[in-house]
Amino acid sequence: MSQATDSTLELLIGRVLRIGVTLSGIFLAAGLAAALVHPGAGAVLLNIGIVVLICTPAARVVLSTIEYLIDRDWLFVGLTSIVLLELIAGAVAAIVFHTRL
Amino acid sequence: MPVVTPLLAAVIFAAGAFAGGLGASLGIGGGVFLVPLLNLGLGFPITVAAAVSLATVIATSSSVTAGRAGKRLMNFRLGMVLEVATAAGSVLGGITAQLLSQATLQILFGVVTMLVAIVTIRRLKQRNVILDPDAHPGRLGGRYHEEESGGVVVYRIRRMPVALAASFVAGNVSSLLGIGGGVIKVPVLNAWCGVPLRAAAATSAFMIGVTATGGAIVYYGNGQLLPEAAAAAVLGVQLGSWLGLKVSARVPVRYLKVLLAVVLVVVAVLMFVRGTR
Repeated sequence: MSQATDSTLELLIGRVLRIGVTLSGIFLAAGLAAALVHPGAGAVLLNIGIVVLICTPAARVVLSTIEYLIDRDWLFVGLTSIVLLELIAGAVAAIVFHTRL
Repeated sequence: MPVVTPLLAAVIFAAGAFAGGLGASLGIGGGVFLVPLLNLGLGFPITVAAAVSLATVIATSSSVTAGRAGKRLMNFRLGMVLEVATAAGSVLGGITAQLLSQATLQILFGVVTMLVAIVTIRRLKQRNVILDPDAHPGRLGGRYHEEESGGVVVYRIRRMPVALAASFVAGNVSSLLGIGGGVIKVPVLNAWCGVPLRAAAATSAFMIGVTATGGAIVYYGNGQLLPEAAAAAVLGVQLGSWLGLKVSARVPVRYLKVLLAVVLVVVAVLMFVRGTR
């Protein structure tokens, strides 16, 4: 295990999380303001904000997978891929539930 | 379900700020306060309250992790291994929440909150550190600069299956109830798995983003993550936790712990009573 890789990864992950949270915050604030001024408006902005928010930790997982892939750390490539698959399974399960109920 | 008017949005924003402020001062997520406020206080179904709360958990975890990046306190490798268990737990929790009644979830919330209160009062604090900075941390252990001893300390991970099981349960409870799940992971990692408290808390805060995402995806896909309410709550919690961190630095920890325990017991009783009625 290389300490250098982990350190770069930590800074990289920090940056991605900061960008994701800020971006979703901007969309959510704009969408909420629009929805309050004109009821029913701002739905697109709000949903973009929510999707960006939900995708932020997922993006962090993808980033780790890529970094470990470059580092040829196969165990962690496998582990982070499983986490990603679990999140995708959650999305699929939700859609199945929603269409059935 | 209540319609989100400007007034209600302002109330949710304030509730988020209050929950985030209290949560940040007390070192736990705000979900444990936000869910009862939305459910009992404002009349949202508990699944909607949990979904909105999970959105705030994602935002908090991401901000906190971004703020800590580079300080080496978070154990990424341990976190990523445990995420395999916690993500599975949270996705299953999100699905299970669809099958349980509101009363069952409220009773469960009451029981879990009461347990958290007990753990808070008699918080285990094992140091778990090896003072020799050259000691080998093993595959998943870590080393960081400890302020108490002023030097670099090393720790090794023990009982990995226990850590994985706790992460699975934490993920499950997190999605079911809309809380972060750190209240389960941190004491277990600290008491049984060899992780120092500060490293356990930092690693847990890092993992919670993925945990909450697993649940939030299920709720969002199912139409329970109300965008207006989530927006107001996320923005409120962000403001509240920022303020909470500033204020809490000036208040003695002892008072904070007592305050936390009292608030948790009140929340637990309220939820339990509502669930059993």
